[in-house]
Amino acid sequence: MTKRHGARRGLWAAAVLALAAVAALAVVGVAGAHRAASCGTVSVNEQAWAGSTANTYVAKNVLESMGCKVNITKIAEIPVYQAMADGKVDAVLEDWQHVEQYKQYIAKQHTAVLGGSNGVNGHIGWYIPDYLMKQYPQFKTWKGLKGKESIFKSPESGSQGMFLGGDPSYVQKDQQLIEALGMNLKFVSVGAEPAQVARWTQLVKQKKPVLLYWYTPQYLNVAYHLVEVTLPPRFKGCKDDAKAGGDPKQYACAYDTYPLNKVFSAKFAKSGSPAYAVLKRFSWSNDDQNTVAKYIAGDHLNPDKAAKKWIAANQAKVNAWLGK
Amino acid sequence: MAATTDYAPAAAAFAAPRPWWRGKIGLVVAIVLVIVVSYLGWKGEFPWPSELTWGALSGYLDSFQSWLSSKRNVANPSFFFTIFNGLATFLDNLVSWLTSFFFKLTWVGTTVLGTVVALRFGSRRAALGVLAAFLSFALMGLWLESVQTFALMVSAVALSLAIGMPLGVLAGRSDRFLRSITPVLDAMQIVPAFAYLMPIVILFSVGPGAAVVTTMIYAIPPAIRITALGIRGVAANTVEAAEAMGSTRSQVLLKVQLPLARRMLLLAVNQTILFALSMVVIAGLIGGPGLGEVVTSGIYSNAALAILAGFAIVIMAIALDRATESMAEHTDPSHRHVTEAVRRRLHLETLAAVAAVGLSVGLAYAFGAGAVYSGKTAQDWLLAHIQSVLDYIQDPAAAAFSISSPIGNFMVQYGLEPLNSYFASTPWFVMLLGLTAIAYVVSGRRPAITTFLMLVSIGVMGQWEPAMSTASQVLVATGLAVALGFILGVWAAESRTVERILRPINDVLQTLPQLVYIIPFIYLMPVSIVPGIIAAVLYATPVVIRLVSAGVRDVEPNTVEAARSFGATRLQVLAKVKIPLARDSIMLGVNQGIIMVLAVVVIGGLVGSGGLGYEVAQGLQRNEFGLGVVASLAILALGIALDRVTQGNRRARQEIDV
Repeated sequence: MTKRHGARRGLWAAAVLALAAVAALAVVGVAGAHRAASCGTVSVNEQAWAGSTANTYVAKNVLESMGCKVNITKIAEIPVYQAMADGKVDAVLEDWQHVEQYKQYIAKQHTAVLGGSNGVNGHIGWYIPDYLMKQYPQFKTWKGLKGKESIFKSPESGSQGMFLGGDPSYVQKDQQLIEALGMNLKFVSVGAEPAQVARWTQLVKQKKPVLLYWYTPQYLNVAYHLVEVTLPPRFKGCKDDAKAGGDPKQYACAYDTYPLNKVFSAKFAKSGSPAYAVLKRFSWSNDDQNTVAKYIAGDHLNPDKAAKKWIAANQAKVNAWLGK
Repeated sequence: MAATTDYAPAAAAFAAPRPWWRGKIGLVVAIVLVIVVSYLGWKGEFPWPSELTWGALSGYLDSFQSWLSSKRNVANPSFFFTIFNGLATFLDNLVSWLTSFFFKLTWVGTTVLGTVVALRFGSRRAALGVLAAFLSFALMGLWLESVQTFALMVSAVALSLAIGMPLGVLAGRSDRFLRSITPVLDAMQIVPAFAYLMPIVILFSVGPGAAVVTTMIYAIPPAIRITALGIRGVAANTVEAAEAMGSTRSQVLLKVQLPLARRMLLLAVNQTILFALSMVVIAGLIGGPGLGEVVTSGIYSNAALAILAGFAIVIMAIALDRATESMAEHTDPSHRHVTEAVRRRLHLETLAAVAAVGLSVGLAYAFGAGAVYSGKTAQDWLLAHIQSVLDYIQDPAAAAFSISSPIGNFMVQYGLEPLNSYFASTPWFVMLLGLTAIAYVVSGRRPAITTFLMLVSIGVMGQWEPAMSTASQVLVATGLAVALGFILGVWAAESRTVERILRPINDVLQTLPQLVYIIPFIYLMPVSIVPGIIAAVLYATPVVIRLVSAGVRDVEPNTVEAARSFGATRLQVLAKVKIPLARDSIMLGVNQGIIMVLAVVVIGGLVGSGGLGYEVAQGLQRNEFGLGVVASLAILALGIALDRVTQGNRRARQEIDV
């Protein structure tokens, strides 16, 4: 008992001392701090994929060059809308058409605003490796795949061909497409993108046949030479997101090509910050983004260094954003 | 309690072989055969009928979420939201205060503080461990992220224990409370965080506060459960003796039950820490800064970095665990007598400790050491080495691949796919009645009714097919985890060496984010389902091992002595005394094994297991909140059915013993 008493007294003494130390340090800290620049701190959200890292770090380095402080957050795609509503995140530089969030947060609540395209066009489709296309030129279109599905056989697809499905979080309608086009394919969900990449890169390295859900811009496309299979042309009212439900026939067309949007928090847009004007002008091409993404994800360059490398080589584009 | 009245269970175990057991197995086999025949006859012809489906639930949930969001994001949200706001602000401030406190101390000061605290209240070994942990964060080049995660986790663990342990004591003393709280705990552990992340974000916004809340939801249940188990494990006659001597209820608790339950309480702290640290990645998704974010973005663009950050999490977990354990041991009042001299020495030590921290902070400022370690790191070297291992794994021409890939293909083609299709395409009514009948045969009427109701509710929610596919995988994973965990757990209880080897392995498996090791694994076995099952087994086995070995070791030594003096061999003591007496702990191990397997169903969805996990993963990321919740409820229903069947068996047997 006495020992515990002693220990507790020691603990109290330590706690009091520690508190005093913190208080003293806090005073020093506050006195020493001063605001960075007129544009203050901008929070830009980085999403998990490499293209988003590329956008975010190039923007960060540009903003820092004009004296802003940049705070990078890494909140998931949907929760980030609430973060913007609360003013905890100022900008998302690449949003893949989260139509329902647009309705909820942009149209209804006015807590976020659309910031225009970031210049990158996203496109989803069915892809196969180029060696397979050379071997079977008829695979250029889906009609050529028909009847040949069994070459995509895998342990989990039985006698059918395997269709390697995309990340569950991405827009997709492949099960509907397979049904509507009457393909003898089994949709196999292989999970999140890194898991899907593990699957198909392993097949490509062995030069085996593989048919998969994939998209551009994606830095891996450069290294692995994937080519797209043409799906039926788009028609009026053709749907892309299986979430909408309904008859598979309504989905029997190629995926659309989306301009990828920037989204800003309403508070940031109204703040008059010079950073807002620059981010509003921020726009670059698929190739630009792929270049930086490959520096980061392919060559494992530090994202800041990757961004600086690109900026140094593309000063004209950056100047346009800066309004020079 | 049967388990505590020394000889009764042992006597029951010595009783003659049970002929009805054979009959039970026969019955189960017969039921399975009937199901197989109907599967062969009507494969895929009777999916769950749409007339028996109530699909509106997910729509209601979706509109609830958008309603909540639109109430929240107005100029003047109602009082209701102010409460959550206040809570979030408090937690945000707590975490950021801690973080900036560590930064103010500079990296040198933080390291010295941690080491000195472990040294003063714990042991030299613990202090060395803490020191090594901090140095490794610096060497990995992850100082900033580690400190952020550390502040987050210290807050979450402290709050989880502050809430969980008192509730655990309550649950240990009141059967009714334990019964009423158990389903809540099941839900907290089984329902994947992905399902409720969005409402949490709407209520608490993003940031450290929301991250702490999410972590606590997952880390509180083990604190409650294991504390309750510990209190219950104190022999009834000891408690009675204390009461007979006139102790009050609180005296019994403080002087008898808590001290005697010490080992279990330590296990509760250990598991709370490990459960909390296994949430680091999820916390990162909603603004809990630190290592979780590094893991998430690393998985997409730099796998080696994700692995490195994963190991930083593991190191933090181990250091925290060992430090708290040694502090608990060294401040244990029952272990030492404190004389005046010792007390004076301890005072001096405290002063020396404070002085050491002060001095190191002063020196750090004088020499300009930063808040964050910014010197040379071994990060590039480490990443290069991890990358070279990854390159080997990812090379299909490597020898490992030529062995692992055929094994994986074989398992899927001849084991898992047929099993999957057996569960999913058997006529629904045959499967429903068959499983209910098995539950009845194995554990009796009440568990059978529960199983029936749970399965029906899965069907009504429109989740029959994915749930059956998940069920087939969950059964395989649970069977493997429980069998492995039981064997290793008993072995660890019998042999110190085995325990010492297993403990760090268990720590790694419980805290290393699953995706970090499962995604490289997919390169070795590129088939769906297998990686998910492996992840589930690796995650669930450690809990089983721990509870089994703690239970077996806690069997009262005098009982064991008595058995030995009757001439029982070591194996006999184990099989007839120790294991039967450790039944409560073993059954909690089975329960936790099932729950852990279900808790990572969502990870399975992220690595290709399909089923319910896939739907939950979609829930958060595609804003299908309703779908995610419904799929989670189906996972929960599966869990409850599976749990009641296994635990019901225990209740039935206990009745026989009494």
